[in-house]
Amino acid sequence: MKSFFNSLTLSATVLALGLSANGANASDAPAKSTKPACCARAEAPGQFTDQSIYQVESKWKTDDGKEIHLGDLAGRPQIVVMFFASCHYACPMLLNDVRRIEAALPEDVRGKVGVTLVSFDTKRDTPEALAKFREAQNLPSDRWTLLSGSDDDILELAALLGVRYKQDATGQFMHSNLITILDSKGEIVHQQVGLNQDVTETARILKQLSNS
Amino acid sequence: MRKSLQLVCLTALLLGAIRANAATHEAIPEGMARIPSGIYRPLFRSVTDPAEVRVNEFCLDTLLVTKGDFLEFVRTNPRWQRSQVKRIFADENYLRDWAGDLELGTNANPNQPVVFVSWFAAKAFAQWKGKRLPTTAEWELVAAASSTRADGENDPAFQQDILRWYSTPAAKELPVVGKSAANLWGIHDLHGLVWEWVADFNSAAVTGDVRNDTGLERQLFCGAGSVGAKDVRNFPAFMRYGFRSSLKANYCVHNLGFRCAKDL
Repeated sequence: MKSFFNSLTLSATVLALGLSANGANASDAPAKSTKPACCARAEAPGQFTDQSIYQVESKWKTDDGKEIHLGDLAGRPQIVVMFFASCHYACPMLLNDVRRIEAALPEDVRGKVGVTLVSFDTKRDTPEALAKFREAQNLPSDRWTLLSGSDDDILELAALLGVRYKQDATGQFMHSNLITILDSKGEIVHQQVGLNQDVTETARILKQLSNS
Repeated sequence: MRKSLQLVCLTALLLGAIRANAATHEAIPEGMARIPSGIYRPLFRSVTDPAEVRVNEFCLDTLLVTKGDFLEFVRTNPRWQRSQVKRIFADENYLRDWAGDLELGTNANPNQPVVFVSWFAAKAFAQWKGKRLPTTAEWELVAAASSTRADGENDPAFQQDILRWYSTPAAKELPVVGKSAANLWGIHDLHGLVWEWVADFNSAAVTGDVRNDTGLERQLFCGAGSVGAKDVRNFPAFMRYGFRSSLKANYCVHNLGFRCAKDL
């Protein structure tokens, strides 16, 4: 048994070495047709800054069924929250915190700030489910964007925002309670950590961003 | 005559055996090994977490991704070259030990594991190969196997070996990959060479955001009830858990590399 595994490993090793040798030869040739389709967008010349999370290539669905890139949110400051609609504990409080931030903004500033909610829950939070959530929560459609995406893209966005999350056995998500403020170019300028925090600082930063 | 007939028979038998072997492993990509499905028991869990996570069978690279492999990747994907990469995807230590965008340096060996790579870079490499990063559950399940048994965590000698590595300062020159004995599944260097990125490193949620203090834990988490270790003897797993929870996705560290996985 053991020697079988050994010989399997050995042949795998030999194959791996053979593969990388071939690969090295192949890559000596000028690489023109090898550019994966995934990277076409990111190589668009200088569209977003080095620190912008809008550089990601992932595609998302809005609750009205439109497909967008995060870069489509550029142009105004955004309040970004990762959540899931069936959450009964922290997410309603997070949503309430976002409303408190909005309430702390002068009306002209509020109109210039977007809010983006991104769901962790790929199974339940379909665009239709999020549309219902919008209706139930009475979220204005001109400023609030509700996004659903793939597991992989959610993991990547969470990594960019510093959000940690994990689904437990009951299907609920344990997650960091973070409210992220992005400037109009998609750079993280501020994060409000935890629930029921004082919103003064976050509101001040948003005012500053929308006046600049 | 009789002897040569025997030889023919033997050859035929051997060929048959090889063919049967090849047929069984047809679906396994080169350089990877099949990992049978199994049960991963998380080290830490809250009251609502599952005690057991079923891991479906999958393929895993038998070797860590090497500097040579990664050189090929950055050659064909210039945006991942050291001077081109965006800071948000890789911090200033990205490929710091290389001599240039396409030079490993005179002292480097292309068979050393690639280190100073971020989670984003590792993920992009895996995608480019048509693969993905393994999950924590997959990685831990495979790494639990010693050379003789799947449940190496119950083998004190195996645990002792791992601890010995954890307590030994890193060698100045990284060894090349594949020099240590393979484990039961034919995978090399899971312990003793470098730490490895996993796809869901950011699910190790001891605290919330890593930049914040543990005192904020209750503020940060929803339903983070009681958290307890499964098995206090498994100190290496505890260290890996702690290490993962201290990482950010753009960190590039001198002793952190990766290998790829693939669904069967």
